[in-house]
Amino acid sequence: MQNDKEGISVLVIGAGIAGIESSLLLANSGAKVYLVEKASYFGGNVIKWEEVFPNMECATCMIAPKQQEVLQSKNIELLTLSEVEAVEGSAGDFAVKLKKKARYVNLDNCIGCNECFGPCPVEVGNEFEEGLSKRKAIYIPCAGALPNAPVIDTDNCLRFKGGDCQLCREACAFEAIDYTQQDEQLELHVGAIVVATGFKTFDLAQVPQYGYKKLNNVYSMVEVERLCASNGPTQGQIVLRNGEAPKSAAILHCVGRDEKGYCSSVCCMASIKQAHFLKNKIPELKIVQLYSDLCVPGRVYQRFYEEVKESGVDFIRARVNEVTQKGMGVAIKYNTESGQEDTLNVDMLILAPALEPRADSARLSEILAIPLDRHGFFGEKEPDLDSVDTTREGVFIAGCAQSPKDVPDTVAEAEATVGRILALSR
Amino acid sequence: MVKRIGVYVCECGNNIADNVDIDKIIKTFSRMRNVGIVEKHRLLCSEDGKEFLKQSIKQHGLTHLVVAACSPKQHEQTFMNVCTAAGLNPYLFQMTNIREQVAWVTQDKEEATDKAIREIAAAIARVAYQEALEKRDIDVSPNVLVIGGGIAGIRATRVLASPNRKVHLVEKSSSLGGKVKGFDKLFTKMESGPALIDNELSSVKGDENVEIFTDSEVEQILGFFGNFEIKVVNKATSEARDLNVGAVVLATGFDLMNLEGLPRYGYGKLEDVYTSLEFEEMCVPGGPTGGNILLKNGKPPRSVAIIHCVGREDKGYCSKVCCVYSLKFARMLKDKLPGVKASQLYSDLCVPGKVYQRFYEETKGLGVEFIRAEKTDVTRNGQGITVSYESKSGPKGDLAADMVILVPAMEPANDTHRFGEMLGIPVDSEGFLAQEHQKLAPVASSVEGVFVVGCAQGPKSILESIVQSEAAAGKILSALVPGRKLELEVKTSEISETFCTGCKTCISVCPYSAISFDDFRNIAVVNEALCHGCGVCAAACPSGAARVKNFAFTQIYQEVEAILR
Repeated sequence: MQNDKEGISVLVIGAGIAGIESSLLLANSGAKVYLVEKASYFGGNVIKWEEVFPNMECATCMIAPKQQEVLQSKNIELLTLSEVEAVEGSAGDFAVKLKKKARYVNLDNCIGCNECFGPCPVEVGNEFEEGLSKRKAIYIPCAGALPNAPVIDTDNCLRFKGGDCQLCREACAFEAIDYTQQDEQLELHVGAIVVATGFKTFDLAQVPQYGYKKLNNVYSMVEVERLCASNGPTQGQIVLRNGEAPKSAAILHCVGRDEKGYCSSVCCMASIKQAHFLKNKIPELKIVQLYSDLCVPGRVYQRFYEEVKESGVDFIRARVNEVTQKGMGVAIKYNTESGQEDTLNVDMLILAPALEPRADSARLSEILAIPLDRHGFFGEKEPDLDSVDTTREGVFIAGCAQSPKDVPDTVAEAEATVGRILALSR
Repeated sequence: MVKRIGVYVCECGNNIADNVDIDKIIKTFSRMRNVGIVEKHRLLCSEDGKEFLKQSIKQHGLTHLVVAACSPKQHEQTFMNVCTAAGLNPYLFQMTNIREQVAWVTQDKEEATDKAIREIAAAIARVAYQEALEKRDIDVSPNVLVIGGGIAGIRATRVLASPNRKVHLVEKSSSLGGKVKGFDKLFTKMESGPALIDNELSSVKGDENVEIFTDSEVEQILGFFGNFEIKVVNKATSEARDLNVGAVVLATGFDLMNLEGLPRYGYGKLEDVYTSLEFEEMCVPGGPTGGNILLKNGKPPRSVAIIHCVGREDKGYCSKVCCVYSLKFARMLKDKLPGVKASQLYSDLCVPGKVYQRFYEETKGLGVEFIRAEKTDVTRNGQGITVSYESKSGPKGDLAADMVILVPAMEPANDTHRFGEMLGIPVDSEGFLAQEHQKLAPVASSVEGVFVVGCAQGPKSILESIVQSEAAAGKILSALVPGRKLELEVKTSEISETFCTGCKTCISVCPYSAISFDDFRNIAVVNEALCHGCGVCAAACPSGAARVKNFAFTQIYQEVEAILR
């Protein structure tokens, strides 16, 4: 490994909670870290959650100090809007090619005052908010996103579509907006690579029987997370699409489990957490959990389940066959465990989708020359025994890029990659 | 000493200037006692702004600095660096937030200006009483003590040991390998446990950077992160050894719950009712039955019932790995006794992650029966055993079996709490050692430099234990770099010898075990290497003896008085 007095250099791909943890520990040891993030902001999936189980801590408050540490670390270079294009060489001496897309906003000048959004005439759905709110063509995804600087979405910006609008530039007092910025090609030399690209949720269009995007009040769990969020589209108000608060809700577990062939490990807890959250917001709300097997592993989670159950949340073992519109809400037809048919009418149905690998995992696995497993997650060198080592020496994986897991297991893996890298590089 | 406080107000472009009357602020403070200069700048965090500030501090010979600008989260460090560059102690600087907390939230300009003036007045009042503090560092040992010679402890040792870092591995039994050494097969690839341990040990044994203590107990851990003093005693020879290490890894593992209190399972009374660990022992080729699965009468069983979640309700938690190892048992049964009928009595199938569900499906495909049972009772019925089961939503029934394997809850190994007490690490209601933070610091304990890995902090698979060991290694390798000193927290707590009455209240509330008692002087003493400056002791101290540097009562009262004036 590269091991001069300066210490090793490491490329960390993905700046979610795993990538952040790896980077901070590596930087603290004296290593130089390039933390690469595809999006214009960092923090990963976790910053979408309002509160996390089982202690109901505010997720952004939990991760923001770590993000500040990243931004202030002399040893970490955060490269947003960047993607890995090629990796050559071997452990200790990798040559990495990156593409860094233009932000069209100069990070050195921008102070994050958001004055540029107002004049922008374009409005499109905000992906970060699952389309539940609108954003401009120059935008930050949500309040509190870091780095606190907007990005121009060139697919929708009038100027980049051939017009001559420059309203955002005129609104900026700091000459931070620069339409002439170009995409850059960067070349880095690193001794080790950490893959921490996280997860996405299962595409609910593959299970049309549950009515997602067809029936009005069927939501994905991620949408509900954003409804719960104080910095989200409704400032934390739990309202249906017609603006009214629901009186009853059902949370359906294991959506996509059969299709994927694995248990996503965190959905039971996330479902219980949402029930807890909704119940807190709307105490008279009737909530039913439709589940098959409760997966609350470890010393802590079962107690949380029991508390939520005692607060008046019903748990029914059910196999759901069909969801149809019923008045303003939905009718859920299901079979109980003993085979009986039953129907549940609720105002709101929340689907808890399986977790799956990021869409670009296949491309990245080719670039890194490490195989994916049967489900498309990054494959470890020795399943069951090594979850952070890959078949390519010097390349490590952490977090949900390897398999669905909760935050503590993700953080532990991130720390384990540091153990492996620093042990190899001494 | 004459105080010359510099007050600098940032316009932040138009962000503050638009909604706060900055000229009025300047007028308000320019004739104030102790204030040497009041100035504004368009953007203090810019290169130009920082240079202006640095020159201005020097030019006016300022003794203290107040910057009224954005959130300290954003630029406190920036301006502390400017102070250092200008030759001013950075702890004689106070930042006050008139952007996020004033300009951006208070609509009325007059009100916003008044609020900003109060905030700045408070900062001026406080900063005058701040003290110059210095960063300090201490020498540390890079060496590590690992307690527990199971798979977690061995892996931690393997990753940590190197020519410039010694690892002392202490195991209380006579050999290394822990529980895993006794597992003939491991899920999910059905590989050999002893082979795994041998492979792990091959790189640890004979490594001159590893010192292995078997038959030994850690009797004493004193000191703090970077400098722990350890006493290890060999139980056979009573020989004691003193060690100096920088960090400690606790990997003390698990035991099964005692089933005496659960008579309905018949354990200890009925023949052919075993615990999971007893079944593992029966399957080991070198074990008492030579690896053959046999009933007490010497015959192989024709039917075996595996009962999950034994004691789960009593313990109040799910032991996480029992479902998967019960599946493994079914495979071992089918492998050794192809005709055997294997039944799983389970309540919730917990097969989290990308691998285990397939293992379940394959096991089910071998003809293993799965019965939902939330409650089971085991009774003897002539030659055989009857397992009566029921569940709320599923069927009820009786199952006949020749052999029953009980899968009891996992609990911390019996000496876990001893280490909790020795180190001051809280033990949770289930007896496991608590983590520093459940989400963000899964292997760190509340005592800096002490890490808890594997089943000592909750039921875990072998893989999860290994990951945790490597995680602890990552934290240690990151923080204890050979030859590097450890920087201490600057704003620590201190206890006045004059005012301390020796009541020990602070010792009981300190979350970092940073305060100890000096019996000779009858006072509490803060160890600055352990103190994080959280201030709990200062809040709890009834005599006002404990205070946190730069959060002293004078500073806080001055600040509060000025803001309310």
